[in-house]
Amino acid sequence: MSVLPTIQTETFFTIEMPYCERMEIRRTVITGGNGPRVAVVAGIHGDELEGLYVCHCLTVWLQELLQKNPAGLLGSVELYPAVNTLGLDTLTRGLPVFDTDLNRAFPGSGSGPLPKRLADAVMHALAGADLVVDIHASNIYLREIPQVRINQEFEELLVPIARRMNLDMIWLHGASTVLETTVAHSLNSSGTPCLVVEMGVGMRITPDYCQQLVTGLLATWQQMGLLAPDLVLPETSHTALIADDSNVHYLNAQTSGMFVTTASHWTDVHRGQLLGTIVSPFSAEVLSEVRSPVDGILFTLREYPLVYEGSLMARVMARKGGRS
Amino acid sequence: MIRNLLCMTAPVRDGFEIPCHEIGPSSHHPAAALVGGLHGDEINGIFILSRLADFLNSVEAGKYPELKLRKRVLIIPAVNVLGVNLRTRTWPFDKTDINRMFPGSTISETTQRIAYAVLEATKRADYRIDIHTASTDFEEIPQVRLYDPSDQERKSAALFGLPAVMERSLSPVFTTTLMYSWKVWPGQSFMLRVGQGGTVQLDHCQRVFRSLVSFLGRTGVLEGVQIAAEDEEVCFFDKPSGFRVFAEKAGTFVSDRQVGRWVRAGQELGYIYDSFGGNVIEKVVSPVAGLLTGIRRHPLLFEGDLVLRVNRKG
Repeated sequence: MSVLPTIQTETFFTIEMPYCERMEIRRTVITGGNGPRVAVVAGIHGDELEGLYVCHCLTVWLQELLQKNPAGLLGSVELYPAVNTLGLDTLTRGLPVFDTDLNRAFPGSGSGPLPKRLADAVMHALAGADLVVDIHASNIYLREIPQVRINQEFEELLVPIARRMNLDMIWLHGASTVLETTVAHSLNSSGTPCLVVEMGVGMRITPDYCQQLVTGLLATWQQMGLLAPDLVLPETSHTALIADDSNVHYLNAQTSGMFVTTASHWTDVHRGQLLGTIVSPFSAEVLSEVRSPVDGILFTLREYPLVYEGSLMARVMARKGGRS
Repeated sequence: MIRNLLCMTAPVRDGFEIPCHEIGPSSHHPAAALVGGLHGDEINGIFILSRLADFLNSVEAGKYPELKLRKRVLIIPAVNVLGVNLRTRTWPFDKTDINRMFPGSTISETTQRIAYAVLEATKRADYRIDIHTASTDFEEIPQVRLYDPSDQERKSAALFGLPAVMERSLSPVFTTTLMYSWKVWPGQSFMLRVGQGGTVQLDHCQRVFRSLVSFLGRTGVLEGVQIAAEDEEVCFFDKPSGFRVFAEKAGTFVSDRQVGRWVRAGQELGYIYDSFGGNVIEKVVSPVAGLLTGIRRHPLLFEGDLVLRVNRKG
């Protein structure tokens, strides 16, 4: 039976607030044929906006597709751009009032306080999808290159999918008990594949990164059979490097002050190269020099200049097999 | 003696320190280590521990001749020093929860460095006690919390003489806490949860102060403590014994009930009003006969918020 192509925005979760208002969480569903079902999730953290713009760009592309070639959409796309609606409304990373990181509340439960209920509603909404992509945008302190982060527990299934996403890095990380409370782990554990994308910086959008991911999503969806094979898509041009605990180097501040970068984000750096300095706002003193420990790629760079002793300033990925 | 556990620099002010009290005879490690204020808004614990330090220092100074501190006690009234001063639960700079940073590290983020210093100072103690409150929205009966305890910990928990000992299983998030990091070391670990965040509740604080002195007495750390007969029994509650009541409707919750009282099944314990219309929209009743171990204190409710908990006696 054929399905009429539609784009519809609907509420999938609602809860009563103390005074007169209801909180509503919405999604946009673009339905074509009866083929694969995919989802994009964003805004679980209220200070991360990159994914919201990706959702917008996807609706632009899909709307045009439905107008010009509706038969090209063989399945359905669900966009959840603002899961933490209250946080996004109030520039708050966590869930306001509950002071909770929503991405530590999964899989949630059907009764009880808002964080657990909301997590449960998201899990139910996404269950059974052929692919979910959960988009994050670092935080307000650090800028990240477009990357996928994969728990090694799910490496075999997810790495081949991640390679098609037109991103620049796949970071395999070890299992961590606390990360079992994320939406991605909960979905992957229950049989719904979910990739976590990290890119950009909190409270900003980086349109180039967003377009890069959109291109990767479309390519991935075509390979899955969601988009017709004869559709001409934007060309993918990025190949992901593999990172893991063995080749990622962290640069934490030796002292407190103001971190001023001298290197550009997402560039090749050499061992010993000056990446920045920590200076004193009260004197002419340079308190610390920050140098790359290896030859590699500067894939994380601090955006927010003030640092406490210990603050992360940069991460460098050594090329596998390179000098370290 | 006052010692700084950690001294660190800060971007635009003087550096900061995390001071602790070390009281009693010198030893390689303390017999008892007490930690408060991992969360900056949990003031009951900070007040209790600062008062305990004053008391033990007075014992050492000979003001209580009948008492003798036999072993060393380490007291950190507040770990999150800046959080206390700025009235925030988390580390104010990056809003991270210090009690999600254990076991910590000397080369990582600021809060991990703080966590590492706290763990190093306390992990070898024979008895380790971490004091918390509930959130600023909720009040808990003063209680001992045990997480997958050993038989010895279960037995020792009664030595506090607090009205409730609550047993809980480990959750994934718990693996990053101080309590969890302590568990890999020999010795016994206890969490005390006392009242509500954001305030000092004098009755609760006095009760827990007495319980800590009793505990130090019963474990031989403090000699000469006259243990008063308990005015009520210690109840052990496992998770299934707890019956929680969640708000069916959003609104304004009002109750004059006190934690620590025994209630009947069906007893009215509070009311939810329509915040705009002013009418009662829900009567909150106890689901079972038992001890009222926790109750909502912030009046504004979202649908589904926890309103109260009653524990049925086993």
